[in-house]
Amino acid sequence: MDDDDYYFDESDGEYGGSSYSLEEDHGDDLNDLLVEEPIEKIWTTASVISAESLLAAQKEVLQNVMSLLLINEQQARSLLIYYRWNVQKVYDSFERKGKEPLFQEAGVVISDDRDLDILGSSTAVITCNVCFEDVAVLDATKMDCGHLFCNDCWTQNFIIRIKDGERTIRCMDTKCNAICDDVIIRNLVSRKDPCLAERFERFLLESYVEDNDNIKWCPSNPHCGNAIRVDGSNVFEVECICGFQFCFNCSLEAHSPCSCQMWKLWVQKCGDESGNTDWIIVNTKPCPKCKKLVEKNGGCNLVRCRCDQHFCWLCGGACGAEHTWSTIAGHTCNSFTQEKEMNFLAVKQRLQRYMHYFNRYMTHADSLKKENTLNENIQRKISESENKNSVIKDYSWVLDGSRQLLRSRRVLKYTYPLAFYVFGDELFKDKMTPEEKEIKQHLFEDLQQQLETNVERLSMYIEKDFYDFNDEQVMELKYQVVNLNRVVNKFCGQMYKYIEDDLLEPMKHAVHRIAPYSSGGPNMLLQPSSSSGNSGDS
Amino acid sequence: MLDVSRVQKELAECNRDTAISGVSIALHDGGSDLSRLSGTISGPVATPYEGGTFQIDIRLPSGYPFEPPKMQFVTKVWHPNISSQNGAICLDILKDQWSPALTLKTALLSLQALLSAPEPDDPQDAVVAQQYLRDHQTFMATARYWTEAFARRSSVGIEEKVQKLVEMGFPEDLVRSTLESVNGDENQALEMLCSS
Repeated sequence: MDDDDYYFDESDGEYGGSSYSLEEDHGDDLNDLLVEEPIEKIWTTASVISAESLLAAQKEVLQNVMSLLLINEQQARSLLIYYRWNVQKVYDSFERKGKEPLFQEAGVVISDDRDLDILGSSTAVITCNVCFEDVAVLDATKMDCGHLFCNDCWTQNFIIRIKDGERTIRCMDTKCNAICDDVIIRNLVSRKDPCLAERFERFLLESYVEDNDNIKWCPSNPHCGNAIRVDGSNVFEVECICGFQFCFNCSLEAHSPCSCQMWKLWVQKCGDESGNTDWIIVNTKPCPKCKKLVEKNGGCNLVRCRCDQHFCWLCGGACGAEHTWSTIAGHTCNSFTQEKEMNFLAVKQRLQRYMHYFNRYMTHADSLKKENTLNENIQRKISESENKNSVIKDYSWVLDGSRQLLRSRRVLKYTYPLAFYVFGDELFKDKMTPEEKEIKQHLFEDLQQQLETNVERLSMYIEKDFYDFNDEQVMELKYQVVNLNRVVNKFCGQMYKYIEDDLLEPMKHAVHRIAPYSSGGPNMLLQPSSSSGNSGDS
Repeated sequence: MLDVSRVQKELAECNRDTAISGVSIALHDGGSDLSRLSGTISGPVATPYEGGTFQIDIRLPSGYPFEPPKMQFVTKVWHPNISSQNGAICLDILKDQWSPALTLKTALLSLQALLSAPEPDDPQDAVVAQQYLRDHQTFMATARYWTEAFARRSSVGIEEKVQKLVEMGFPEDLVRSTLESVNGDENQALEMLCSS
């Protein structure tokens, strides 16, 4: 596999190939049988950083850099913000360039003396180069870079910068790249505006997330306060401890095997048209010029689109603006012509194609909702069964089956938008020859259909009220559920593999990467065990 | 809250050596609002802007000097980094490279330097920049013409003055030559015309 052509690089460019996680907390032994010959993997791991452990996680990284480069916390922070909290990059640059250039680039100045002794006694007076006033040396501050200004000017500058939301505040002198010591900033600002000083402190803390490519806030709304750290591939699905499942790359809901771009387009499309599609077909016509759908809001049959194109409402064909109430100048369309009919059919076909995928997508989305409720009831059914006078005490297979049902239902749901784009013209026009497309679509639909059939069967068994069953019936049900669980899981794995290897890979479309399949669903994260957020493992 | 004391000091300091620096600052329209100023720079020698006097509208934000002043050419000028339409300026120190330790005077001097050394790779006016790179001769001619037409202090409103004096009953030829001899000073010209 030619990685360079297909996968776009992340920051380091060291990763190639598909990502795969070994973090399968809920996977069972079956997995070993299913994924034969795993393709090259990057180890992607994820962990939760709770609001409380954010500080500790940041401190740990700071400590690392501080002890390596023998600098103080402020300097380490400036350096890390510049390198987007990528410690490895700091180390690499350090080795490649050496200490001085490393600091200089990031605007970090290491100075040995910050005392004002050279300026003489405490009664000495200097002229501040910003306000042009003479001030006592005691009322002035010298930064590490050696530039000296009066405290009033420093403070005012800091206040304006902080209000602008800046995290790295540079020295006021012309062409001075040095970043101001955040301890000084906080001290000076808190004298005048303690709230703002606190805000600045929060900025610095949040920088660990905001300026960090490996960490993102959980996009749950209302926000749970947690941040998620992912090491490895960004195209990775996680479940925060708050229960919210999302794609780490685009921060939208977990949507594999749809790629991020496809999902964004689909959401947009559905937002624009869902539910209204029927109405649209009946009540609108596409403008012959800009193809936007136009609704007739009254008047005669000469319609003017917003793009200024006039067209005939009866046939949808472009025409001039001159008309009377009953005729349009130079335009007749009462006679039947093949071409016009074809045009109209093409539009209709496009809409019908979308409707096809949309309806099936929605059906699975609805089923998913219902099965979610079902999943909640299962625990109740299990405890009822356990209290029965029976030899069968282990009902974990029901839970496993139910979880697999939800998982594969999601997969099914997202295969429809995927198919809409992969076999349509919007994103991949002319990427496949018609023959190739036909074969691939056939294979894909075959796989999809098999998955669908088995998911429905699994759903049927999971729905059964097994607490009324006798032991024999329960054993029979167990056999079916376990078997279907295995089958469905296998098909899901195959589906992902087929999509990655046969649909997306040959198109050399680096933007369309999908999160790897794991039978347990998005990688469920656990409460951080210690304050450490840097261990990488959950 | 604009730092009034600093602005006042800046004005005094800038106007002390106007003759040498070629830049000056005054309150806008002779008003009393310190946040609206009017700067003047003389076109640098050995450039197509030589001999011109360029007016610059200066607005000071309330955060000045911690935020950069807003400057815009009032006088029309043909330059890759200055919009020929509205006089907007593309100069780093007026944006992200501003430092509170810079002053209005240094900013105006930078503008003057910009007139001498255009940076067509970072253009404000794409048309002018294209011309600067592809057809330098035409660029020089146009810039010179614009300077003559819009930035000559003596030529500002000259037609108006001519018309006024002609209306008073003096022959146009005489009016023009007299005005020219006194560098466009209307009163002096009138005096001369009356006494001749």
